[in-house]
Amino acid sequence: MPKRDDIKTILVIGSGPIVIGQACEFDYSGAQACKVLKADGYRVVLVNSNPATIMTDPGLADRTYVEPITPEFVEQVIVKERPDALLPTLGGQTGLNTAVDLARAGILDKYGVEMIGCDLAAIERGEDRKLFNECMAELGIETSRSGYAYSLADAEAIVAELGYPVVLRPSFTLGGAGGGIAHDQAELHEIVGQGLELSPAGEVLVEESIEGWKEYEMEVMRDHAGNGIIVCSIENFDAMGVHTGDSITVAPAQTLSDVEYQRMRAASLAILEKIGVETGGSNVQFAVNPDNGRMIVIEMNPRVSRSSALASKATGFPIAKAAAKLAVGYTLDEIVNDITKATPACFEPSIDYCVVKVPRFAFEKFQGADDTLSTRMKAVGEVMAIGRTFEEALGKAMRSLENGRSGLGADGKDAGLPDGEAFDDLVARPTADRVFYLAEALRRGWTVERVCAATGIDPFFISRMADIVRVQENLRGMHLDELDADAFRLLKRMGLSDAQIAHLTGADELTVRTCRKLLGVKPAFKTVDTCAAEFPSSTAYHYKTYDADETEVAPKTRRRAMILGAGPNRIGQGIEFDYCCVHASYALAEAGFETIMVNCNPETVSTDYDTSDKLYFEPLTFEDVMDIVDVERPDGVVVTLGGQTPLKLANALAEAGVPIMGTSPEAIDLAEDRDRFSAILDEMAITYPAAGMASTYQEACVVADQIGFPLLVRPSYVLGGRGMGIVYDGAQLEKYMAEAAKISPDHPVYLDRFLEGAVEVDLDALCDGSQVYVGGVLEHIEMAGIHSGDSACCTPPFALSEALVSQLRSVARDLALRLGVVGLINIQFAIKDQVIYIIEANPRASRTVPFVSKATGVPLAKMAARIMAGEKIADLGLPPDDRRLEHYSVKEAVMPFGRFPGADTVLGPEMKSTGEVMGIAGNFPAAFAKTQLAISYALPEGGTVFISVCDRDKRAIVSIARDIVRLGFKVVATGGTARALRAAGVDCEEVKKVHEGAPNVLDRIAAGEIALMINTPFGHATRADGYELRLEAVKHGVTHVTNLAGAQAMVAGMEMARANGLTVVALQDLPQWG
Amino acid sequence: MSEIANKLLEGTSKPAPRPAMLVLEDGAAFRGTSCAAEGEVYGEICFNTSLEGYLEVVTDPSYAGQIVTMTYPQIGNYGVNPDDAQAGEPALRGLVVRDMCTAPSNWRSVLSLPDYLRDHGVVAVEGVDTRALVRHVRDCGAQRAVLSTVDVDEASLLRKVRASEPLVGQNLAATVSCEKPHAVGAGDLPASHAFAVAPAVPACHRVVAYDCGAKRSILQNLVRSGCELTVVPWDTPAEEVLAMAPDGVFLSNGPGDPEAVEGTYSQVEKILGQVPVFGICLGHQMIAKAAGAAIEKLKFGHRGGNHPVMNLLTGRVEITAQNHGFGLVFPSLGELVPELSGGFKGHEDDLRFWARAGIAPVVDNPRFGRIRLTHVNLNDGTAEGVAFLDIPAFSVQYHPEASPGPTDAHYLFTAFGRLMDGREDYLDIDIAADRLAGWTFGEQAATVAGAEGGSHA
Repeated sequence: MPKRDDIKTILVIGSGPIVIGQACEFDYSGAQACKVLKADGYRVVLVNSNPATIMTDPGLADRTYVEPITPEFVEQVIVKERPDALLPTLGGQTGLNTAVDLARAGILDKYGVEMIGCDLAAIERGEDRKLFNECMAELGIETSRSGYAYSLADAEAIVAELGYPVVLRPSFTLGGAGGGIAHDQAELHEIVGQGLELSPAGEVLVEESIEGWKEYEMEVMRDHAGNGIIVCSIENFDAMGVHTGDSITVAPAQTLSDVEYQRMRAASLAILEKIGVETGGSNVQFAVNPDNGRMIVIEMNPRVSRSSALASKATGFPIAKAAAKLAVGYTLDEIVNDITKATPACFEPSIDYCVVKVPRFAFEKFQGADDTLSTRMKAVGEVMAIGRTFEEALGKAMRSLENGRSGLGADGKDAGLPDGEAFDDLVARPTADRVFYLAEALRRGWTVERVCAATGIDPFFISRMADIVRVQENLRGMHLDELDADAFRLLKRMGLSDAQIAHLTGADELTVRTCRKLLGVKPAFKTVDTCAAEFPSSTAYHYKTYDADETEVAPKTRRRAMILGAGPNRIGQGIEFDYCCVHASYALAEAGFETIMVNCNPETVSTDYDTSDKLYFEPLTFEDVMDIVDVERPDGVVVTLGGQTPLKLANALAEAGVPIMGTSPEAIDLAEDRDRFSAILDEMAITYPAAGMASTYQEACVVADQIGFPLLVRPSYVLGGRGMGIVYDGAQLEKYMAEAAKISPDHPVYLDRFLEGAVEVDLDALCDGSQVYVGGVLEHIEMAGIHSGDSACCTPPFALSEALVSQLRSVARDLALRLGVVGLINIQFAIKDQVIYIIEANPRASRTVPFVSKATGVPLAKMAARIMAGEKIADLGLPPDDRRLEHYSVKEAVMPFGRFPGADTVLGPEMKSTGEVMGIAGNFPAAFAKTQLAISYALPEGGTVFISVCDRDKRAIVSIARDIVRLGFKVVATGGTARALRAAGVDCEEVKKVHEGAPNVLDRIAAGEIALMINTPFGHATRADGYELRLEAVKHGVTHVTNLAGAQAMVAGMEMARANGLTVVALQDLPQWG
Repeated sequence: MSEIANKLLEGTSKPAPRPAMLVLEDGAAFRGTSCAAEGEVYGEICFNTSLEGYLEVVTDPSYAGQIVTMTYPQIGNYGVNPDDAQAGEPALRGLVVRDMCTAPSNWRSVLSLPDYLRDHGVVAVEGVDTRALVRHVRDCGAQRAVLSTVDVDEASLLRKVRASEPLVGQNLAATVSCEKPHAVGAGDLPASHAFAVAPAVPACHRVVAYDCGAKRSILQNLVRSGCELTVVPWDTPAEEVLAMAPDGVFLSNGPGDPEAVEGTYSQVEKILGQVPVFGICLGHQMIAKAAGAAIEKLKFGHRGGNHPVMNLLTGRVEITAQNHGFGLVFPSLGELVPELSGGFKGHEDDLRFWARAGIAPVVDNPRFGRIRLTHVNLNDGTAEGVAFLDIPAFSVQYHPEASPGPTDAHYLFTAFGRLMDGREDYLDIDIAADRLAGWTFGEQAATVAGAEGGSHA
């Protein structure tokens, strides 16, 4: 059946900010959907609060609303745009939930909006545990056996049927609080007792434990004619008990025989039909008992998911694109396979390679949090690697993680691991780095059986790893010149990197590379073609292998530009950089280049095979990038748009003779090297905070005497603000130095003068070598001391004087020209007492580029790419950079604290946010209010506000508290704060601090009385009173602010929202350039 | 492999490498290492794109005379359970893989694949860049090949392969058929499948199955759907079969060139119209030959588990298991009957025309009357199934028993039962309704589990 022509306008809901469990894979799927719907002639209306997405580019949809994804805002959009249909299945859980809310509230019916792809009933059957289990029972497919307990006796009765161990899940607790596994009656009593108390419904789900079973995922698609296909099967490396998103996963399924696999396949399709997913993609998860093949369905998602993105990249089958087409009436057999362009999409991809996905974690950012992996996802990103064998793919994945490792061990980084029980625990307990401990265990002589018994991981995987480790150990101590071509080929086929070979043979990486190439051991590049080479394919989606009889790279026909991507998402390096890379690819293609993308992140738009002319799904290491350079011979390589990952390759690539586009590696070094950069600032008479360096506490004291407290301190060996802190006195400094010495005795600590109370400003600019264009000036809301990635900011600046802003522009111009930037530069300023300080300058795309581009209508990354390709700013047709904008845009960071119970939520110099939202409005408070709505989905309307601030803030809190009372809130405060407030005539109730005994503020939070919490901490204390408070707030989902500037903006925002209401605005109604 | 490379492999699950070589008649040569029995074998090179189900492929009698390449690189991962075998002895000539697993993992595994192959004397090579090989076969077509672990001299092997006997014209079915008639019933179903596969329904039809190299899973599926089977050799005279007064006759799959299997299709011609007939793969070609149709050799065949086939009667697409190198030339069955073909008068070379038009065209066959095209391959527009309108017979080119592969077409076994029951609408079955028909889930899985070995049907 052809597409439907009874619908004209389709509303697509995105997934909002990047959070753990819902990352940029939904930008990838949403962008695909918007593109394909538009190409089919539909008018596409999009709502997504995340500015760092490709899907919110004004060109992608017809009407783009960067607005909070709440029923209220989406209803406003519906009223304005009157869509005929709503596609809810491509925006993750957020999109789906919002669609459900709209449907239940009758808004869709009221405006005649049809839900396409999946209807309300099907979503409910898929999401509601009880309904889902009933459906499965009707099919005769098993779910894990369980029962609801309302008393200890209930729980015991259920356990009598199921046997120990059982999984206990209290109903409706935030973040699964109070759950656990009981192995005996004592544990049962303890956990159930606690759970019944914690659960608002007094209900605990008692479930048979399937921990240790094998876990599988099936990616399924279905059209309205009832045709169903499996796009991909995925097998988890980690056994049940570790969330799929936190598990290493492998595609296709590795250890299922045909009879087992086909049964799972048939069940997947039957489940989709039963749940009633009319069209589109879904995933179904299964657990399989490794001892007897018993198969249990765990859950299904009636929507495109994280694993759909992975499956799309793993097979070349564009699930989201197909899902969008199916939703508007096409059938699978009517859609052409994008890759072969000759066969229909109604088939099941066959792949002739192995795909390994490895999650990327960020526990180092959340001290205090338990780093054991569990059923609640904690990974912040992932990498995918393709090889002809599991060994090859695993090796690649392990060196893609951007964690300093060169592969699966054998890089000298496992020294210092403990022995005995401590090591046994490292092997047994699932953690971020466990895979390295497994390799180390095998190296230490553990048998495959022992490792399997300790971990529950399938022997297939451990055997493969044992082979890798064996080969590594056989190599250890050999000399590089002993190796011949056969030996090299074997090592490479086992997934070893040049760096690992160098480590094991005592050579250096470049020598290994030279030696290997001299022996003629070069990789081949094969193609991801959906069909295992059965049909010719015209799509250049490549991966590297040492099955090197034949390489499939097409000969060069025109100028080639290669763009190095950003690697796995992690805190500090997220989707923003992917956005920049994608834009560069588009711009360079328009400029006539054949574009080549290199990246290893399966969640992104950059790794969509149709974003660039060619896609190499490869790690971003020197070796892997050079191998691609060797075959592609690019005319230029872009290293400044993918964040730190490609930037740190710049020097090595340049030395190897690779032409770097834009800012030269020399100029990059000028800005990155502290001493060289300081010299330039001195030369230009630009102020910067006084700084020093120290290796001991004594040395640090000398520095402190020179530049004075407070100090911003950080270890010299890490990037991204890791380990940063602010110290206010000698005692704190001593403690910090002691810790730093413990962590890394060989590296000194940097000490910078901390500009307390300074206003921070970010500035993004373009420079072509002779002219500078200031893309945006962003005033931070939080004061200096909070990482710029975690701080909210506003453009244009809301409180800076025009004179000051023009001074900032002028400094930026001078500096960009002096450094010799060709492309983008980001400068961070601090302003204190009318003095402008430069904190740092990064001659690359910054995190704020997508936000600024959307706020100003000037696509900075595209312009940067054109400049790198040789164009001049004067020729780009840009509006004056000092023009007055009619609207304010606010960016606010989104924190993952709910995922890390135990981690402190205070913001500081170390970045912790995973994503961002944008609010656009006619004034700053309204724009800020939108960002708060976009994050928490509701602003506090009334009730009690709890205030407890440190002495520094006692004076400034008064006016904020006064506004709070005026808005009709009740105020409760702790002793000191209450005294300050009362002294100023603000009415408030006093409440005990945590250490002052019960009942105290914790009880008030637990009772749900607190609507908003303002708590500012002092100094470096993490274990203090405030810590417990903030933990409690996170646990109960209470909005809380940890700094005054934020509190002020919050109050102004609440007032603005209340007074005028907040209206929606489409990007297309704002001026757009380029 | 060099001595130093061998040293690097010491202590791994990989055996010490022994060289092996594959040479195609057009001169393409691929080096690897031996991973099963030693020897030198000749056959037609082909490839299979199934991701799993290697044992079913290796033991499929239809691969007689062929050297099979698996496109998925790592083979043997979940070991071998002999109950999954499609015949007692593998009939293929040799196996080519990228990486052979010697340390498999699965609860049903009894031995490793390389051990199984060695036990059955199958020559196999690993370490081959199988993707390069597959692309070569795809572009240059199926051809003769030699696989050797005893002679690894390229020139010598090329000389030998060019002198070897081609597949076309050989009657390979005769080599894999049974020797004498025998019964197959519910007692022959493998116990180790009971955790997943539904038990047989009570027998309600007596069926004679021509064995041209029948896969066990076809016979098992017939039994499960209620057939009491008498399996007879490929060349059993029609008279003997009809004398058994069966409710239906089944024509099995089998290897090689259908033209060479006259002993079967000449008898089929006599059976058609007498009793209901159902044919699969070679059986489909036998019916076509009996109706006087032409058969063509495909460039590199269909072998895998992901081919989309549209059922023209329902418009539904089935994902099918396929294994054939020859195919029916549909227009050769007869002139189109316009009034039953949506008014279209002329034949179309690319049968996807009918899929797009939503029409199941009918031809007038000089021998058996009206024949309808029921199934079309959406990848290349070849004929995948026909149904006779004036006599009770239908057949498909692909494999509803799958094994390995998706079981979407399981409904065809149900359809055969309905045909024998005389139902006009026997083929009109919703795939979704039939989806779980052959499977079982739930508690019995745990209880029958661990029945390794079981009965070897």
